[in-house]
Amino acid sequence: MNPQGRGLALFLRTFTAIVLVFLMAPIVVVFPLSFSSGELLTLPTPGYSLRWYDDFFSSSKWLLATRNSFVVGIATAILATTLGTLAALGIFLGRFRGKAFIVALMSTPMVVPVVVTAIAMYFAFSFVGLNNTLTGLVVAHTVLSVPYVLITVLATLQTFDRNLLKAAATLGAPPHVAFRRVLLPLIAPGVATGALFAFATSFDELVVAIFVAGPQQFTLPRQMYAGLREFLSPTIASAAVLLIVCSLALLAANEYFRARGKARTAAADPAEPN
Amino acid sequence: MQSKLASTVLALAAAAALAAPGAASARDLMIVGFGGGFQDNARKHLFQAYEKATGVKVKDDVYNGEMAKVYSMVKAGDVTYDVIMVEAPELVRGCEDGIFEKMDFSVVKKEKFINGGTSLCGAGSVLWGVSLFYDQTKIKDGPTTYAQLWDVNRFPGKRSFRFTPKTTLEIALLADGVPAADVYKVLATPAGQQRAFAKLDKIKPHIVWWKSGAQPVQLVGSGEVAYAVGFTGRVVRANAEGGNKYPLLWKTLLYSVDYWAVVKGSPNAKEGFKMIDWITDSKPLLALAEDWAVSPANKEAAANPKIREKNPGMLSSHVDEGLFINTEFWVQHGEDLEAKFNAWAAK
Amino acid sequence: MAISRNNLLAAGLIAPLFVVVVASFIVPLLVTLYTAIGNPEVRQTLPLTTGALRDWNGEGLPPEAAFAAVIAELAQAQEGQAIGQLSRRLNFEQTGLRTLLLKTARAKETLAAPYRESLVALDTRWGDTELWQLLKRNTGTLTPLFLLRSLDLTLTPAGSVAQAPKEDAVFLPLFARTFVISFWVTVLCVVIGYPVAYTLSTLSQRAANIGMALVLVPFWTSILVRTTAWFILLQREGPVNALLRGLSIVDEPVTMIFTRFAVYVAMVHVLLPFVVLPLYSVMKGLDPVYLRAAASLGAPPWQRFLRVYLPMTMPGVAAGGLMVFMLSVGFYITPALVGGPNDQMVSYFIAFFTNQTINWGMAAALACLLLLMTGILVGVARLVVPGFRLGSVSP
Repeated sequence: MNPQGRGLALFLRTFTAIVLVFLMAPIVVVFPLSFSSGELLTLPTPGYSLRWYDDFFSSSKWLLATRNSFVVGIATAILATTLGTLAALGIFLGRFRGKAFIVALMSTPMVVPVVVTAIAMYFAFSFVGLNNTLTGLVVAHTVLSVPYVLITVLATLQTFDRNLLKAAATLGAPPHVAFRRVLLPLIAPGVATGALFAFATSFDELVVAIFVAGPQQFTLPRQMYAGLREFLSPTIASAAVLLIVCSLALLAANEYFRARGKARTAAADPAEPN
Repeated sequence: MQSKLASTVLALAAAAALAAPGAASARDLMIVGFGGGFQDNARKHLFQAYEKATGVKVKDDVYNGEMAKVYSMVKAGDVTYDVIMVEAPELVRGCEDGIFEKMDFSVVKKEKFINGGTSLCGAGSVLWGVSLFYDQTKIKDGPTTYAQLWDVNRFPGKRSFRFTPKTTLEIALLADGVPAADVYKVLATPAGQQRAFAKLDKIKPHIVWWKSGAQPVQLVGSGEVAYAVGFTGRVVRANAEGGNKYPLLWKTLLYSVDYWAVVKGSPNAKEGFKMIDWITDSKPLLALAEDWAVSPANKEAAANPKIREKNPGMLSSHVDEGLFINTEFWVQHGEDLEAKFNAWAAK
Repeated sequence: MAISRNNLLAAGLIAPLFVVVVASFIVPLLVTLYTAIGNPEVRQTLPLTTGALRDWNGEGLPPEAAFAAVIAELAQAQEGQAIGQLSRRLNFEQTGLRTLLLKTARAKETLAAPYRESLVALDTRWGDTELWQLLKRNTGTLTPLFLLRSLDLTLTPAGSVAQAPKEDAVFLPLFARTFVISFWVTVLCVVIGYPVAYTLSTLSQRAANIGMALVLVPFWTSILVRTTAWFILLQREGPVNALLRGLSIVDEPVTMIFTRFAVYVAMVHVLLPFVVLPLYSVMKGLDPVYLRAAASLGAPPWQRFLRVYLPMTMPGVAAGGLMVFMLSVGFYITPALVGGPNDQMVSYFIAFFTNQTINWGMAAALACLLLLMTGILVGVARLVVPGFRLGSVSP
């Protein structure tokens, strides 16, 4: 490589390093702030303590929000994964035209600006009494997260060899056995990834919660948002840290399933554009 | 129909997911206010005292004055707020919209309130007001009128106002030399509104807006702004906590009344009225006033000489100096001016 | 032709999701559309008046029956706590009508037949043909007013379309601002993301994995958490100002929070991974043989880049850029938290009208326009990037 090329490479690497620092810095900085012993969100912190975590875990509001987040997240994951996987199987097994249209229709919640979705649900829910209920939140989050499940499972199915089902049938396996013993194990990593997406989507979702959730249905992001507007205390930083830890756990789980999926079927991965 | 079915299925799923306890059917009485020091003290002297006196379990919560939640609650028929504190225009608007129950004045005794302390759906709680303040230990010779507050050359630094047209537009007209008595007459005309916005334009780059009541004292305290127009109660408390750094300029006061109302469809409406009657009596209010400088909308409590002496920051002692925020004006023009104000601020 | 068993099974499998998506997404969108153009208030609250105005030709004053009906129905609406919606709706049409309606409702007992005379005596506005035209116009099931106002147009009393008064004409500039912010965020993301993706794609697998992890961690962290982090960092007394002062770059703390600058910083931070991820995978998938061929033909590096590499990575740029632009246009939380009043985009006003002034018609009309814009963008995306779908990048 000539000196000019080397200079360019060095420049690019430095630039990339700076950008990566820019991407990570805000996330990293929240950690020391959350362990601050002071009242203010300043660095360097006057000292370290767990008082803001103590505050978090002794506040009925934050605890309620945590509980709500998990209830809604898990219910959303179950529902979205079930509905999305079934529909993906239907699209895979059926032989009809307009599959692309059905997938597009189910995926529209991804395209529509989330504020629009949120007020649409708020308006519609006000007629059926779903505002200010956890059920309403679960319905909304399911609609928002189901496209991810659908696309993930469809991608996994794309790599599935139909002949395996035929082979199972030839060997005398009834369809439900073939489904359980042949199809399901092969698409399981995709389904698991979809479930993770669904949970993560619900767990991080704020805009719909702003409109649809009442004070008794506040989720962690919603409670954080309320706190940011009311009074900026380091408890918010500790809540942020807890959310970051959850996200990291989900990311790790996703990578694990991805590796397993790759090993089994070399599945296409939605987290990596194809 | 499908939503009903879906909601049933989902309710089951949610319950299975984490054995969530169902909606509390016989829940505690829920009273909701704007938070801050008032609510901290009201919790002790009004809410918990009521619980002690009657055995009725009371819980309290905080909201930011956004009425949409209450509207959707009432529309959805799942009312989780029972008694709520509201500002006057919101009370009147909500009353016309059927968001609040009509006040049961056979339970809540009407005679005990100050003039204007009751309305169709509400019973007066306390007076509130905003006024100009700044750190007088740092700024010796600051502005004393709104007209002076506009003089950014003589008084440099940021100014903080509440991010609402209510109070801000009145202040702009006062600063522009409109006599207090004519403010609402002028503001009712398009020309007057333009005049107010034009006046605000002159200091727009110097304005930092606040949205929650805790902010003005924080902003002035941290030096982020030099001057702020904030809730007098919070300023009085900050002064009491130390230094008496922010003497209030009572001539810049704008004030109104906050009301208690019962949310329409509340399963505890009857209890709510009883509680409102109890917490607007002079005895608990006087106990509250011992700890917190309130100006009750209860005649007897407001006139109590001991309290007046103890709380020099009591609004009722200064109403002669201030401008009463015209409820009927804001009911009439509120929505229009809020949209205009937001549009102006966004420019 | 009989439906095959296979397709029957498929339909059964797809149906549950289809029903849920239609019932809780498509139907709500239709409800929103209806909210933007629906006009139920007058008909619902004043049914008899509506009937009495049906045969009126819009000239002079309506028949006595209309005057009698409007008094009775306004009083009834006030008694039943139902006058708010009507008066708010008509006050939006023309400021001042609210007082007129309430005044009339309260005066019911003092008014007597003939009602036309006594109403006009109560308030001369009732003798105004234009007022009655306005009422009659709003007995219709639909109204274009909210959509018109979203486009800075309005209706004259006679019912023709006109420019909205200057102080109300805020929505076109708002849409323009939304586009400008989205445009610059997109440009920044592409300009920053491209070299980063390129560099990562040239690193050893090990180093690239670490680099990608540093992109993926923020990608998986919720938008609110990242915005909160910037909210804290950019405070006047916050860490960034402390750093700047520590390095003696500035003496006085710089105001960064609640500025356009903060909006750009936080939005670029949130959206950058959406460009880096697709670009990285496109670059990784490129066959270096083309570049080598270009080099062996004697093309200088910049020409190799401009004529070979850039065109080959263009699909990634387009996919990532369009994605960022579409997401930006709908942004709400980040500008709401770190921006000032003049950094807010369309979404903010949708929330404002829904939650604060409870003017659902305006909220719905703005939402419909935003939806339309997004639809157009998706159409453009499909033309520019074959096979474009939003699912190509997901959290």
